[in-house]
Amino acid sequence: MNGFNLMDYAPILVMFIVAFGFAASQVVVTQLIGPKKKTATKLMPYECGKDPVGSARDRFSIKFYNVAVVFLLFDIEVLFMVPFAVAFKALFKENVTYGTIAFVEIIVFIATLVIGLIYAWKKGTFDWNVQARAEAKAEAKALKEKKLQRVEELKRGEIKIAA
Amino acid sequence: MEPNLATYLGLSGILFTIGAVGVIYKRNAIGMFMCIELMLNAVNLTFVAFARYYGDVTGQLFVFMVMAVAACEAAIGLGIFISFFRNKISVDVDDASILKN
Amino acid sequence: MNTILLQVVNPNVNVTSILPEVIVAVAGTLVMIYDCFAPKQKIVTGAISLVGLILATIALFALWSGSYDFANAWNGMVAFDNLRVSFTLVMLFVSAMTILISTVWTEREDVPIGEYHSLLLFATVGMMFMASGNDMVILFLGLETLSLSTYVMAGLRKSDLKSNESALKYFILGSFASAFLLYGMALIYGATASTNITEIAAKIGTANFPALLLAGGAMLLIGFGFKIATVPFHVWTPDVYEGAPTPVTAFMAAGPKAAGFASFLRVFVLGFPVVAGATATNYLHGSWVSALALMAMLTMIVGNVAAILQNNVKRMLAYSSIAHAGYALVGFVGAGVAKTSEARDGAINAVAFYLLTYAVTNLGAFAVVTLLGEKNDRRTEFEDYNGIGFKAPVLSFTLSLFMLSFLGLPLTAGFIGKILVFGPAIQSGEPLLTVMVVVAVICTAISAYYYLRLIVVMFFKERLTEWTEPKIPITLATVLIITVIGVFGLGLFSDRVLSIFKTSPTATKAQLK
Repeated sequence: MNGFNLMDYAPILVMFIVAFGFAASQVVVTQLIGPKKKTATKLMPYECGKDPVGSARDRFSIKFYNVAVVFLLFDIEVLFMVPFAVAFKALFKENVTYGTIAFVEIIVFIATLVIGLIYAWKKGTFDWNVQARAEAKAEAKALKEKKLQRVEELKRGEIKIAA
Repeated sequence: MEPNLATYLGLSGILFTIGAVGVIYKRNAIGMFMCIELMLNAVNLTFVAFARYYGDVTGQLFVFMVMAVAACEAAIGLGIFISFFRNKISVDVDDASILKN
Repeated sequence: MNTILLQVVNPNVNVTSILPEVIVAVAGTLVMIYDCFAPKQKIVTGAISLVGLILATIALFALWSGSYDFANAWNGMVAFDNLRVSFTLVMLFVSAMTILISTVWTEREDVPIGEYHSLLLFATVGMMFMASGNDMVILFLGLETLSLSTYVMAGLRKSDLKSNESALKYFILGSFASAFLLYGMALIYGATASTNITEIAAKIGTANFPALLLAGGAMLLIGFGFKIATVPFHVWTPDVYEGAPTPVTAFMAAGPKAAGFASFLRVFVLGFPVVAGATATNYLHGSWVSALALMAMLTMIVGNVAAILQNNVKRMLAYSSIAHAGYALVGFVGAGVAKTSEARDGAINAVAFYLLTYAVTNLGAFAVVTLLGEKNDRRTEFEDYNGIGFKAPVLSFTLSLFMLSFLGLPLTAGFIGKILVFGPAIQSGEPLLTVMVVVAVICTAISAYYYLRLIVVMFFKERLTEWTEPKIPITLATVLIITVIGVFGLGLFSDRVLSIFKTSPTATKAQLK
């Protein structure tokens, strides 16, 4: 305990260097090779897709709420994993059977969470643009029908193309 | 003053009372729900205080369960509030008044 | 470090002991998964749910007759006794019937059917754990699993303001009650340093802080009082029952009430017994018995008198469910004052039997109300029942039968149920309990007014508007047949059912020897 050795903390230093290096390289590389088109929207301060200036009591999209609820539920489950992670090693050393049981139990727990995740996914909770896409689809369908109708009318010679 | 069991119990009692009174006096559903969360946290404090006092880990385990349940309650509560808000444009409980004698 | 570790983990992982619960939970998950991959289906999830419930019942019977040693299963967190088995049977029955009743509703309206079925199954799992938990952690988790599912089910009709309002009120008052319940649990833990009911019962004579014991008991009384809707904690009941979709109301009046009683009985009757020479503990026992006796009287009086004033059938049935919680509490108090363990178990079985008769009658009545309610439950006023008696003879005769069973007419289930729950309280000979039974009998007489009123309305009032008899779908017909047989069967052959309830699980018997 008394032998304080600075070298023990070397991995942390390495991690810092890697992290800084990664961040810096990202900034530099995008500046160098990224296309630059300056529009008014792009120059605005970024605030999660909302207008940065305006009434604070503005109502915002329900999508934020969906994500928040799912986050809330999955976030709290870490509560059960952290104690497991902390105690597992000592427990396994103490008694292999108990350790195995604990491991199987945490696997069952995570599997349950995964089922929940699949359910939320299939229900479209993570689909940010489900509405926009549905509208686009409907529009395309309407356009296609209109086009078909026009083609039919042309075939029947009801409309004369202006010569 | 060194905090002892009585201090924690007193604090949790006060928190619980504030929460309970808040639920009764608040008129905004979200405010009421925040008061309920306050009550749950008062309970958590009681559990942790006793767990520490007895050197027994069951109380702390109970707190884990309470926290997880509180999160689920929050998710479901917000869902119910949203669906009420969509139809009524309000989360004031006084507006929830069609079901009465 | 290691001592604390080993304090927690002495895992006696005994999945067999919770097999029925596991089956229902797996069925619920399957329904959920199936629904998100095939959202258009109409009957598959219902079928999976029914199969799951039936398998769970079979598993329960198998455990009951087999000889297993569950004494230390899950560190003593799971009980295996008459209380668990009899109440679990009631719950499984209620859920299966609810699925059948709700087919009418799900066909008529645009209900997210898979979600509804999985919520119902998860609620059932919660209820089963409320009956089987022998530890306050399990009781609390079961209660919350049940409550959270039920809040959503009450608000499942998303665009209907009534349903929203019902869910909102249920949610706020339900979680308020949970907080009280939890504080009570925390204080009991503080007094006894344990959350296990058996250990609490053993340690309660030498509790550390007797004042905490009393405060905790009071808080638990408030919390459970809310859940089973006793006066003065009943205000949410009529609003929630009226606003929720009718099949969900049927479920809420029968299932969660039985589950609430199961936990309530376990904590109070088995957890807070009389201990010779312990003043504070006996004071706790005496005060909860008298408090519950008073609550039972208030519940019966308020429930019955308020039911007279109602003009909506669902609301009337809601007040009637409050009144019936009062009758069941009479049996509860009887179990509390029982001198011997046989007498106590007998009283507990009587309460379970009473709740079974109530569940049978209630589900039958709500099945008819659901069918007559039409879309969005528009037709649930008394006027809507005017003169349908001879136009729809099957429906109105069965509904009349259920009303008579609610009232407690001899030969029906309600009669024998009432006799059984009043018995233990009378035998104790205590003045307060005798008064309570007298009040119960008077209240039964009062209740004749509103139960018979519905029959009079159906058969002797004239109908001014056009009305055609709705077609009875096969699922609903099944429910009606089962419940009618149940009403007569439980009324005539109550001994046989009770003897089933009385048979201790073999495991418990072996343990006692």
